[in-house]
Amino acid sequence: MTVNRRGILLGTVAAALFGRAAPALAAQEIVIGAVYPTSGPNAQIGVDARHALETAVDIVNAVHDIDLPTAKSEGIAGLGGARIRLVFADHQGDPQKGRAEAERLITQDKVVAVIGAFHSSVSSTVSVTCERYGVPYMCADSSSPSLHRRNLKFFFRPSAHDELFSLAMFDFLDAQRAAGMKVETVALFHEDTIFGTDSSNVQRKLAGDRGYDIAVDIKYRANSPSLTSEVQQLKSADADVLMPSSYTTDAILLVRTMGELGYKPKNILAQAAGFSEKAVFDAAGEKLDGLISRASFSLDLAAKRPSIAYVNERFKARAGRDLNDNTSRQFMALLILADALDRAKSVEGEKVRAALAGTNIPAERTIMPWSNCAFGPDGQNTGADPVLIQYLGGKWVTVFPEAVAVAGAKWPMAS
Amino acid sequence: MTLPALLQVLASGLLMGLLYALIAVGLSLIFGLMDVVNFAHGEFLMTAMYVVFGLWLVTALDPVLLVPVTAAVLFAAGAFVYLAVIRFAMRAKANIGMVQIFATFGLAILIQGLAQFLFSPDYRSIPTSWLGNRTLAIGDVFLPLPQVFGGLISLLAFAGLYLLMNRTDLGKALEATREDQGAVALVGIDRNKVFALGWGLGSALVGLAGAVLAIFYYIHPQVGGPFALIAYVVVALGGFGSVFGALAAGLIVGLVEAFAATLLPPAMKSIAVYLLYLGVVFLRPRGLFGRL
Repeated sequence: MTVNRRGILLGTVAAALFGRAAPALAAQEIVIGAVYPTSGPNAQIGVDARHALETAVDIVNAVHDIDLPTAKSEGIAGLGGARIRLVFADHQGDPQKGRAEAERLITQDKVVAVIGAFHSSVSSTVSVTCERYGVPYMCADSSSPSLHRRNLKFFFRPSAHDELFSLAMFDFLDAQRAAGMKVETVALFHEDTIFGTDSSNVQRKLAGDRGYDIAVDIKYRANSPSLTSEVQQLKSADADVLMPSSYTTDAILLVRTMGELGYKPKNILAQAAGFSEKAVFDAAGEKLDGLISRASFSLDLAAKRPSIAYVNERFKARAGRDLNDNTSRQFMALLILADALDRAKSVEGEKVRAALAGTNIPAERTIMPWSNCAFGPDGQNTGADPVLIQYLGGKWVTVFPEAVAVAGAKWPMAS
Repeated sequence: MTLPALLQVLASGLLMGLLYALIAVGLSLIFGLMDVVNFAHGEFLMTAMYVVFGLWLVTALDPVLLVPVTAAVLFAAGAFVYLAVIRFAMRAKANIGMVQIFATFGLAILIQGLAQFLFSPDYRSIPTSWLGNRTLAIGDVFLPLPQVFGGLISLLAFAGLYLLMNRTDLGKALEATREDQGAVALVGIDRNKVFALGWGLGSALVGLAGAVLAIFYYIHPQVGGPFALIAYVVVALGGFGSVFGALAAGLIVGLVEAFAATLLPPAMKSIAVYLLYLGVVFLRPRGLFGRL
């Protein structure tokens, strides 16, 4: 195929002339916008999100014999078998780029809803833009607690936020203490954007309320070339539990620097993010044996729910890795949206919003360890129970809460 | 602060500083030679890291052995960039500074895009090497072996550079070309050849730094950014074009950063570095050892 300047020019002119007519032809198509970082430091998150969302689109558009919303029908039955098409936009981890991209998706691509955005800081601007245009925003995987407290009508978050996650962590610590383990001091280690700040605020408060001493509280600069001095402080504090809130880059550097400075934490209890990414375990997995992370997802639940293995297999064929904390949430967010579209029988923003608000999906029809999916008036799923998973021998094992735990936690991690 | 803690901060700062100096010196060299600021310097560093990673994947040799190979590859790449891009950017008739800035800036975006396309935006790392994860413990002071190795390489590189600049014909040609580009042509020195060698040398130096960094750092298309930023500060602090200014300034930046992270809230450690830089700009705009 040869592409020359004239061809591109003609194509552009044709697109401009006929672009407006296109939506009429594609009545059987529902366009959904996905705002993710596909360049910049967290580009791999966006690449994996694309695989997760495309896996979900395949489940919606084709017939699959599994018990997940809209899986068994071809397309969305309530809209005459309409098929979903995704349009991706790259926000590079920048809230302002995210806002501009959301606006473009809504005004030019005429998306019915927007899904995003990994970074809490970006979800914060994108959701406000969606609100202004009356387009539902599915906050798939941003976990800052402040996001659902802004009285937004079009904001929906199916998975837990960092307050719930941190609550689960401290419930777990309480349980360890009740079982006679020594848990007196915690070390907070968090990056300096909204994710790390919000996460540490909650942890600081919970630690105070429940009588844990904060041995050291380090807010560090994200993407720093070196964390030596920071780790030095962690080492001299040597708390019973290290609680990091870090994205991938800093997580890799933290673990390697701890190794170099001869610091082996007694326990690590991580606020997922970087600590659910494969790259971190590829880089230094042997040093993380016994690490516990909060999670919205646990692959070993597949033993009880066949749909999880089914979806994971399909995702793995695309992405070359297992579903994780982030990709499972992205996948599920799209299915929840498809379920609402099915019931709304319309693509109008207000009607889709009403259908989303009326969502009631039982746990068995999701791939998550939730009790169910139903949104409160603030758009937060009230049944999004988090779990804690432990990295043991190269695999994740669900260890808390007891109801879904596969095994007891190894504590302290290095024992 | 206890004495061992103080010594640890001092040691960490010096080791990091030697690495910063090695990253920055190539930038300074090229600037001193031909007044071109290479905005793709961080991307050269990133390229070197991927070269090590790729060679390690293919040959399974220890990354320590791949350090000289990487420097050689980067030498060729640097010379190529001069001959293919910079040579033409320097022919601009007007606004030559701008043209050079945009040429190297565009190059940076191109290299980043290529890296993401070829290697995916996944974080890579070399999990095993002779030095990886090993630490030299002297009392309570821990010296990570990869960084000690990096520091030695850096010192060797500066010693080599000193000999090259002062004892060889090539060094004299570089110095002469830097003094007067027109005059050297009259005595039969090919300006383009000297510039290409200069770019090769500058890139080989950052190649050394990248090769060492790859042993203990993650590898990613965007990894160069934060290091390049520090390199610009180091070059400005040491004096544009001053090779040994870069060494001194690298050490200063490393130490300031390490102490700032200990004494200030760590999130503000870069502030100390940039404040220092601002101070130098106000009080001694040509940098500590600048000749401008």
